[in-house]
Amino acid sequence: MIEEKRILYEHLDVPDINTFDVFRQYDGYTRFEKAIAEYQPEDIAKMVMDSGLKGRGGAGFSTGLKWSFVPRDIKPCYLCCNADESEPGTFSNRYVLEKNPHLLIEGILICCYAMGIETTYVYIRGEFTLGKKMLDAAIKEAYEKGYLGKDVRGTGLNIDIYTHPGAGAYICGEETGLIESLEGKRGQPRNKPPFPAVEGVFGKPTVVQNVETLCNLPFIVGNGVEWYTQMGPTYADTRANPPTPDPNTGTKLYCISGDVNEPGVYELELGLTSTELIEVAGGLRGEEVKAVIPGGSSAPILTHYELDTRLDFTSLTLAKSMLGSGGIIVMNETRNIVDCLLNIMKFYAHESCGQCTPCRWGTPWVRDIVQRIADGNGRKSTITRPKFGVAENGRWGDTGETEEIYEDLDLLESVANNIANVDTMTWNTICVFGIAVSWPAVSYMRKFRPEFEAAIREGKLVTLSVAEATVPPEENYAYQQRFVPKEFADL
Amino acid sequence: MAFIKLNDLEVEVEDGTNIVEAARQHGIEVPHYCYHPGLSRPANCRMCLVEPYVFFPPAGAIVPDRQLATGCTTTVRTAPPDRKLDGKYDFIVQTDSPRVKKAREDILEFLLVHHPLDCPVCDQAGECDLQDFSHRHGHDKSRYLEVKNVPPKKDLGPDVLLYSTRCIVCTRCIRFCEEVSGSGELGLIHRGSHDEIDIPRSHDGTPIQVLDNKLAGNVVDICPVGALISKDFLFKSRPWFLEKANSVCTGCSVGCNITVEYKPDGVYRLKPRFHGDINQYWMCDDGRLGYHYVNSEDRLQLPLKRVDDELTPTHWADALTVITEKLSEVAAEDILVIGSAQGTNEDNYVLQQFAHDVLQTTQLGLFGQLPGEEHKFPQFSIEADKNPNTAGARTILGSANGNNVLEGDALWEKVSGAKVVYLVSGAPERPLEDAEKSALESVDFLIVQDILPSEVTELADVVLPGTTFAEKDGTFTNSTGWVQRIRKAIDPPGEARADWEITQQLAKQLGGEMNYHFAGEIALAIAENVPGYGDATHQKIGDAGIKLT
Ligand SMILES: Cc1cc2nc3c(=O)[nH]c(=O)nc-3n(C[C@H](O)[C@H](O)[C@H](O)COP(=O)(O)O)c2cc1C
Ligand code: SF4
Ligand code: SF4
Ligand code: SF4
Ligand code: FES
Repeated sequence: MIEEKRILYEHLDVPDINTFDVFRQYDGYTRFEKAIAEYQPEDIAKMVMDSGLKGRGGAGFSTGLKWSFVPRDIKPCYLCCNADESEPGTFSNRYVLEKNPHLLIEGILICCYAMGIETTYVYIRGEFTLGKKMLDAAIKEAYEKGYLGKDVRGTGLNIDIYTHPGAGAYICGEETGLIESLEGKRGQPRNKPPFPAVEGVFGKPTVVQNVETLCNLPFIVGNGVEWYTQMGPTYADTRANPPTPDPNTGTKLYCISGDVNEPGVYELELGLTSTELIEVAGGLRGEEVKAVIPGGSSAPILTHYELDTRLDFTSLTLAKSMLGSGGIIVMNETRNIVDCLLNIMKFYAHESCGQCTPCRWGTPWVRDIVQRIADGNGRKSTITRPKFGVAENGRWGDTGETEEIYEDLDLLESVANNIANVDTMTWNTICVFGIAVSWPAVSYMRKFRPEFEAAIREGKLVTLSVAEATVPPEENYAYQQRFVPKEFADL
Repeated sequence: MAFIKLNDLEVEVEDGTNIVEAARQHGIEVPHYCYHPGLSRPANCRMCLVEPYVFFPPAGAIVPDRQLATGCTTTVRTAPPDRKLDGKYDFIVQTDSPRVKKAREDILEFLLVHHPLDCPVCDQAGECDLQDFSHRHGHDKSRYLEVKNVPPKKDLGPDVLLYSTRCIVCTRCIRFCEEVSGSGELGLIHRGSHDEIDIPRSHDGTPIQVLDNKLAGNVVDICPVGALISKDFLFKSRPWFLEKANSVCTGCSVGCNITVEYKPDGVYRLKPRFHGDINQYWMCDDGRLGYHYVNSEDRLQLPLKRVDDELTPTHWADALTVITEKLSEVAAEDILVIGSAQGTNEDNYVLQQFAHDVLQTTQLGLFGQLPGEEHKFPQFSIEADKNPNTAGARTILGSANGNNVLEGDALWEKVSGAKVVYLVSGAPERPLEDAEKSALESVDFLIVQDILPSEVTELADVVLPGTTFAEKDGTFTNSTGWVQRIRKAIDPPGEARADWEITQQLAKQLGGEMNYHFAGEIALAIAENVPGYGDATHQKIGDAGIKLT
């Protein structure tokens, strides 16, 4: 039996942990105090780099590396805490805000100390009214106790935190969309470069970090890098010679929803497989796993053949999917993949910010095609291909061979790939929302093609059995290109 | 200068140039919509994708970059010697590789999915970037079967209509109102594929602010498609039927460079023309929409003379004879010749020559529009002097020895003492104050040369039909000393003639030795005789103008 490894969530259920006094009883703010007493800011940055911490918000970019891009000589520098958690299937930040907001404040303090930051903006999803209320109350307390404001605890540091509610747009979770929105403009992502680390809020260097990422900092400082790196696998990046370590260290707040008996947030070491995760979440509800979405709705789907893929940043990337936000959605045999895709595409078509051409007009187009297929109006044509060869009469000419073409599936794939190409991983859009659209569209269609074909053939949604609906591994593009990483220690 | 490889060309471009411009300078088209050289660059249309090459260390080779780059925001710079590609290039870029071509087709396909394609009834057809680029870079078939969005048509302001269905959301219009006019009337409402350009409105849809700043017309010019349409031009003509003449706006002393677009029957519209030091890409609506008098039915077409207190049409020979008879009767000091700040340098030169050499008077005056309002925008100004050539007329009228050019009160004082006044106006809408009117009334014999009936022509004894800027060649000098050309677009109505021709004819009848055949010849005389205008020949001025030193 796999045990939960609660670190960030350890004291989540302690009554009144949201108050300063109770938080204090559970080592609250001692890690920050340790940081300022024992380490120089550069030491903290180095610890974060060595810990191998990767951003938990979606991109999985090394936090230490991101910090190293921030020019130290340009002030002010800002921290933006991304609490816009809106990826369907993701709900871990929310509990931190609602139940243990002081932990986030402590994480922010450590980041501010390490980066010489005086101003932090917490951009909170508009719907998280309770979370904002709790965080605001905690911030107020922290000011009162001298952990925020001028001359924090007599150290000479000045640190302020402002909370800013979003207005209900998913795209404001994208870091530059967030920054635009924070500045009071339409939430439209910026062209990169320049990256926020160099030119972010109000044109100044800005560190954008997810809530969960920041909440890891107190534990890295408190328990040390060695303790931290023991959790989770460290792979070998064999693109370098000799291979370099590719850490997937720490725990992850996996948000498990869908067809499991006990959905919820589970804090587990990185590197478990989907099968193990389903087991932790009380087992599957239903007979068989049909599919698993591993990282929020934008992640490419996994079939039941791919359940042994480890759910960490590297393994999923090498399996042509992603860990993303850690929102895991399990689907059993009763689910219809066409319907699932339609649901997701409705979301994305509604949420495209509309700034750039391919996404603005491509995303609703993809949605409409899927809608048409789901409505039973998908197009199939049996065409006679002029295939030249030795024909029946023994002479060279048209063989009159026929072939069934699912025009709408070709169209779906082509339109999605024109927004962002899944195979070459190139996109013509401003932000990676484009790939968040084409990833599910193309992966669902390719991996569960029989179900899409059935919908077109039958003129209505048909839910096939898991075995029938799934493309076998030999024909599964992702499975074929899947690469299982080796652990660094094994080399 | 950066040395770049552009497709298979090796070219030099200035540091900081973007790929769209670098390619344009060398005759290669990189299609683009959101990019406008006079505005910021959001790179949102994704039309201008190009393929840059980079050095890829593991392969030790120069390879196409993984992602395509937007040509509008990719600028070239001289690389340090050790960073040169292939040992010599500062940048290598392909604008016509298969990948780029595919990307263009894809973007154009997306741009057209909701587009109504109502080119047959669209004002922009023929000068539409969407048409042109689709034709040159796009697919010939649509794969889109779904329902198209049909956002409503909107009336944005006095002269601007928005056909929302045709909008490709390039945001040029929004950026113009933010950056150039600073008035910020336009914005986007809704999101994603429902994006719509709009003005601020209350919840029930009533406008809170309309697009009526004095630069509003420019948004129509910069809209790459037929979404923003000028009411003034709507359904008047297909653009390909229009001829074009490079000219200068007569609305104020800024001297915006314009193109007069015309057919034989009149002027159809004015469009701004780029000038880096004067108007950039813009012009104001006063100038843009101020051309209608040219086409007026009321234009003076025949000379008029007063018979029994009525102005009656006559023929040129008669009118000129009446004038010359009168002029030879009175003494030189009783004659006053008044030039116009609306007239060209050439008109005024001939006029002053006539006064100085033929009539032998040194008493001249300068007439023109009254000063109006001045308007300042973040990147544009409209000047208070509503004449295009005050600076030029003043210098040129006063260029001959001893000439005294009177303006304002001094002028009207002089008018009331004069027996004969020859007034070249060109400013028919100018109202007369009472004092000015009585001064003119006191004149024995008033000759007025103008384009339309006006308060001044009403007082005249002879009226001579002159021409507008659209009907003659010549030059104007703006307030900052730029001498620029206007060009004849259409023929003058009826018997009207270029102002300098009329003056020259008078001079000849009085025995003067003037024999200019065209305005350029007069400009040569100006270049020879007027200090500072040494280079101001039509040939040297060309389309770019020259700045007086
Ligand atoms: C379309 C889109 C939506 C995103 N939404 C979120 C979000 O809701 N919360 C979040 O933390 N990161 C989100 N991200 C990721 C952020 O852009 C950014 O990578 C992250 O906040 C960086 O923090 P981290 O390094 O701590 O993960 C989103 C990215 C994209 C492209
Ligand atoms: S890809 Fe989509 S969400 Fe991202 S900037 Fe473009 S339109 Fe907006
Ligand atoms: S905007 Fe261009 S493409 Fe569209 S209808 Fe008008 S002319 Fe045709
Ligand atoms: S109205 Fe014209 S200029 Fe404005 S966004 Fe639309 S296409 Fe661009
Ligand atoms: S012109 Fe470059 S993206 Fe629009």
